[in-house]
Amino acid sequence: MSLLKRCVAEIIGTFLLVFFGAGAAAITLMLASGVETQTEFNIGIGYFGGLADWLAIGLAFGIAIAGAIYALGRISGAHINPAVTIALWASKRFPTGEVAPYIIAQLIGASLASILFFACTGPEAVLIGGLGATAPFHGISYTEAILVEAIGTFLLMLVIMGVAVDKRAPEGFAGLIIGLTVAGVITTTGNIAGSSLNPARTFGPYLGNTLLGGSNLWEFFPIYIIGPIAGALIAVFLYDWLNSE
Amino acid sequence: MKCYICAEEGKDSDAVAICIVCGMGLCREHAMREETESWEGGYPFPARKLKKSIPRILCPACYEAFHS
Ligand SMILES: [Zn+2]
Ligand SMILES: [Zn+2]
Repeated sequence: MSLLKRCVAEIIGTFLLVFFGAGAAAITLMLASGVETQTEFNIGIGYFGGLADWLAIGLAFGIAIAGAIYALGRISGAHINPAVTIALWASKRFPTGEVAPYIIAQLIGASLASILFFACTGPEAVLIGGLGATAPFHGISYTEAILVEAIGTFLLMLVIMGVAVDKRAPEGFAGLIIGLTVAGVITTTGNIAGSSLNPARTFGPYLGNTLLGGSNLWEFFPIYIIGPIAGALIAVFLYDWLNSE
Repeated sequence: MKCYICAEEGKDSDAVAICIVCGMGLCREHAMREETESWEGGYPFPARKLKKSIPRILCPACYEAFHS
């Protein structure tokens, strides 16, 4: 498979993740638009069913991720997340020369998803739904947000190691289990800092908001670079250490 | 072992292979060899086609069933 085809696969996979995952968050906000929530910590997601709202958003992400992994995993590896690509590279499992092309492809896919989501739903997707962009919730500090994103991505990467990278992993389960893991992480940590776990997943909606008249959230972007990459790196090296003779 | 097909035709020839599907013994003439490509890797790495393919021996009946 040429690098070009693999990058196209990364674009499509990250597109699916952001369109359906971040899209679910935007739609939930649009559904809850106009309601009076009891606290500022509740921005509308959680208005209908508490954590069930987050489970639904998590499953929208998880199912899209599982689909992308089964459909595109053999072509590019379906990293669809710069933190995953960087962790595989740092542990010498992925060639240095292909890291930048993969990450650029992931950012392009995520951006296309936000723009096409807007094209499907109109200005409310930006003005009310914020294109499903992630940001720390009311009362959550910058450091707390980095920490929770790191812990969530730590679990994601640990599961990727155990269910896919490890040669002893059972065949065929990777997409399903990784998708469910993301759904679970989002259910618990979604209302803390959005549970991005993925710099590309945050980049797409941020760029979309900038281009389409939404709010400027770029001050929070470092959270979603530092947290996910740190969590993924710790997971990879810890997994290798735990499994070394 | 003897070739099943030859035996049906009343000939007596030694088998050199066995059909992987039905287990029929086959002489040189009746054994159908087919190359199957094999892949390694896959999520989270691109899958790679291995340089060499893996041979698969079939009898004419099974070969025909697979290619019909
Ligand atoms: Zn046969
Ligand atoms: Zn024969």
